[in-house]
Amino acid sequence: MESTHWEQLQSLFHRAVELPEIERERFLKCACDGESALEAELLAMLQSDGRGTIPSLLEQGLPGIAGQFVGLPEEAVLVREIGPYRLLRVLGEGGMGVVWLAKRQDTDALVAIKFLPNANLSPARRERFAREIKTLAKLRHPYIARLYDAGTLADSTPWFVMEYVEGERLTDYVRERSHTADEILQLFRKVCEAVRYAHSQEIIHRDLKPSNIMVEKDGAPRLLDFGIARELQGLDDPSERTRPGLRFVSPDYAAPEWVREGTVGFFTDVYSLGVVLYESLTGKLPFDRAKRTIEEDGRQIDLNPQKPSALGARLGLSKSAWSDLDVLCLKSLRADPQERYLSVEALLRDLDHYLQNEPLEAQPDSLRYRIGKVFARHRRPVLATGLALALVVGLIVFFTLRLAAARDVALAEAARTQRIQKFMTSLFQGDDSEAGPSEDLRVVTLLDRGVQKAQRLQGESAIQAELYRTLGSIYDQLGKYDQAETLFESALKLDRGSSPQNDMAEADDLVALGLLRSDQGKSQEAESLVRQGTSIVEQHRPIDAMRQANATSALGRVLIESGQYPAATEVLDHAVALQTKLDPSSVELSDTLTLLANAQLYLGNYDESERLNQRALDMDRKIYGESHPNVAADLINLGQLEDQWGHYVEAEHYDREAVAITKAWYGTDHPDAARQSAILAQVLVHEGKYDEAEPLLRSAFGTERKFFSPTDAHLAYILNALGSVEVNRGEFAAAMDNFRQVISLYRTAYGDGDYRVGIGMSNLGNVYLQTKQYTEAEHLFRQAIDLWKKVLPADNINIAIGQVRLGRAIFAQHRYPEAVSHTLAGYEILEKQSTPSASSIQAARKDLAAGYLAMKQPEKARIYEGGVASVDPKK
Amino acid sequence: MPEARKAEFPPIDTVTPFDGNASAGSKQALDDLFSLVYEELRRLASMVRRNEANATISSTALLHEAWIRLRDSPPLASTSLAHFKAIAARAMRQVLVDEARRRSARKRGGAGEVVFVGFDEAAAEIATGDHDLLALDASIHELATHSPRQARMVECRFFGGLSVTETATVLGVSESAIERDWRAAKAWLGSKIHPEKHQQTPD
Repeated sequence: MESTHWEQLQSLFHRAVELPEIERERFLKCACDGESALEAELLAMLQSDGRGTIPSLLEQGLPGIAGQFVGLPEEAVLVREIGPYRLLRVLGEGGMGVVWLAKRQDTDALVAIKFLPNANLSPARRERFAREIKTLAKLRHPYIARLYDAGTLADSTPWFVMEYVEGERLTDYVRERSHTADEILQLFRKVCEAVRYAHSQEIIHRDLKPSNIMVEKDGAPRLLDFGIARELQGLDDPSERTRPGLRFVSPDYAAPEWVREGTVGFFTDVYSLGVVLYESLTGKLPFDRAKRTIEEDGRQIDLNPQKPSALGARLGLSKSAWSDLDVLCLKSLRADPQERYLSVEALLRDLDHYLQNEPLEAQPDSLRYRIGKVFARHRRPVLATGLALALVVGLIVFFTLRLAAARDVALAEAARTQRIQKFMTSLFQGDDSEAGPSEDLRVVTLLDRGVQKAQRLQGESAIQAELYRTLGSIYDQLGKYDQAETLFESALKLDRGSSPQNDMAEADDLVALGLLRSDQGKSQEAESLVRQGTSIVEQHRPIDAMRQANATSALGRVLIESGQYPAATEVLDHAVALQTKLDPSSVELSDTLTLLANAQLYLGNYDESERLNQRALDMDRKIYGESHPNVAADLINLGQLEDQWGHYVEAEHYDREAVAITKAWYGTDHPDAARQSAILAQVLVHEGKYDEAEPLLRSAFGTERKFFSPTDAHLAYILNALGSVEVNRGEFAAAMDNFRQVISLYRTAYGDGDYRVGIGMSNLGNVYLQTKQYTEAEHLFRQAIDLWKKVLPADNINIAIGQVRLGRAIFAQHRYPEAVSHTLAGYEILEKQSTPSASSIQAARKDLAAGYLAMKQPEKARIYEGGVASVDPKK
Repeated sequence: MPEARKAEFPPIDTVTPFDGNASAGSKQALDDLFSLVYEELRRLASMVRRNEANATISSTALLHEAWIRLRDSPPLASTSLAHFKAIAARAMRQVLVDEARRRSARKRGGAGEVVFVGFDEAAAEIATGDHDLLALDASIHELATHSPRQARMVECRFFGGLSVTETATVLGVSESAIERDWRAAKAWLGSKIHPEKHQQTPD
């Protein structure tokens, strides 16, 4: 039936019921004009209307039925066939279901089908089963068994079909085939990859153990049984904070904090992986917990287990290899999660270091780049003044980047760093003594030593300057701007005073210093420095194409920082062209694409921006792999785009992935991690998850305050988001303070006309609106809109929301036609956006309806009443 | 030349979102809410059954108790009582229909491709309402294909016990529109479920 038919049916029905009963039949005959089906339908409706009741059901009353329907005894269900699948035999039975081997009759393929018998016994179990299906559907990874199909039997027993893995348990596989340690570790590495993937999807397995890790004939592992897996987001659910029932988990593999307190995190899986690794290497469990009570167990697992090296002699490894493996295992098995590898990522990294027989790995391009550069440019002096020096430089950079990159517990681990220390000492001291240095080799210590070394290079000003610049860039990246500044300025002084003249080096110094100024929020100075550098490069003959491209890109970057988006776009388009010509898939090109995406975003060209970003992400994943900060940067950018579009679920997903990568790489107390957390928090604010957003913002603020002065514009973003949380809480005074600060910070940094100043104004206006100070609110909204109209495209969402809010402020002052005109202006923009943010559209509709009603135009008001279903959960 | 650094978007400040609306961009929150309500309703319904105090507890009271227990949970933070009831209505419908379906499937045991072995057939007496309830559910589904709003309205009114005013608020239409739609939908559903005279359920 078409809805037009439905409308006809309804309208005839309403007309008929208003007629006296005797006239109805005649009316229907006439109105239906021979359409007997319609007539019959209407007659039946009228009859039913006359009876005045639907079925007996309604008379019985809902609670009565509810009472009857619940609490019947459960029954066992045995099924032979489901759709195309025929059941063969039971593979296993556990707390969370029965698994059958089944055959697909049309293709003869074997599959595993899991049922949840007595599903109605507990809605919580049913929910958990449904969650497992959801989890599996979300996971697509070669080392995770796949979901094929799911459904419910007629008696509502839920089931799902998944890949049947014909293989051996990991530990059996390892034991029976006497593999070498490297083979075992390579296999274990794949398992870790699968777990890391699951974590990137925010899923914690919680029940990793050999029987859930099967190895297929081809030697590839498959993770099974996500029956008690948990999504990270749901962890605050109190019902999940219970200890694992012994029915469900295997105490030998469960992390102590979970067994004891019910605390769960990525570290829960790290622990289980540690047990699996330990068992794979030694053939024994670290703790024999089967025979103990939980209380005894609680004490036992606080102790360190025996070192694997004492048990696994059969693998025939060297002493030093074993000492690494001991650290790897025991660090995964720490009772305190904070002392464990904080992520599978961190575990994987150390595993890789071990497998590559290196203390630490560097970013290959940085290492090659820097060492190569120094060698290439100063071949003669290097050879003359000693190869060792160049090596020292290379290695400082090597370790510095590595340590900076992985400034997590993994690398702070004393036993682990011993090897590095020894290595470093030998380089710094020029001998091979066994003794390690007494001083802790932190990144900054290394850098400071590098600087001291560099300072002693009297008479080699070119090398000295390059060292300063290199070390300065590292300080810059670490957020140590003062040190970076000193070094860049020294480099510039050296290069300017050099003879013969070295204008290319001088240009590099200027660009580096300019980028630093930009990081420091001094955008005007930044632009002037980079322009000086660029112009030197462009005047130099023959032209240095690489340098020109990179300097152009840097100029685009500072232009963006100072809010000159059209100019930046032009410059960056040029840079993209230059860099593409040099190498179509270089790091530099990817960075420039991202910059261009920034500029396009600010110009409101979201589609173009997303396209550029996606291209950069693809490029970066190829260059760096999945978990590099540059990939995180691409992800957070995509997240911000989705946020702007109102796709909050996607935005949250991107942001969480980015934050996880950044935290694993730099540690939590890093300005990048803080900024990205704040961006995630803003999405949460948009989703109405204020409770989750606030602690993120406060901690991000704490971190950023360590790196920036209280008057730095970097803080404004956090204050702005925090203000929105406070508005929601009704803490209006605090919100006002924050928004005032936002306005002043952005004014100082970017000038009165910057659109961000408008954001602060509009938000401050909203606080006035909430506190019923309508004239102040109106004034601020008007100021913000005027400002935006000058710098943003006419259909920008901020303008739209500003208009709707302005309409509200005017409505409250009873100037209805004027109010409606503003609301309408905002609404028209919102409606045109491809995916308008639902809450603002609904607010606008509501206001329009109210406005027209107030103007006594109910027919117009009706247009905006309803229409947008406000509750529509799935299913 | 210093190493090129990845340029992240400087964070994009946004305006404070509109509030006071459960649908504020969060389907996730609604899903969470739905499962909470579902479980709570089952608990309450089974209490009703155990006490056999059908007469003393109305569906409105049932929902009200659920609301009191759940309103402090995070997904409900920005949900009004009327919206809560509307969501609960859907959960209630599902609870009841699930049960009815389960029991009539057992009644038909052995039919089709599935073999059931019941341990306690005797306990599986089918309530007289089963048939009607399933028919009603199917008809509401059909109604939804013609007019999703009217289907939603029936769900709210019947399964959630929402008043006309509450239903009007939730669906964002006027009360008179609800009254009109309710009468037509009721008549139509009645004609679907009992096409001829009011007949006894076959069991």
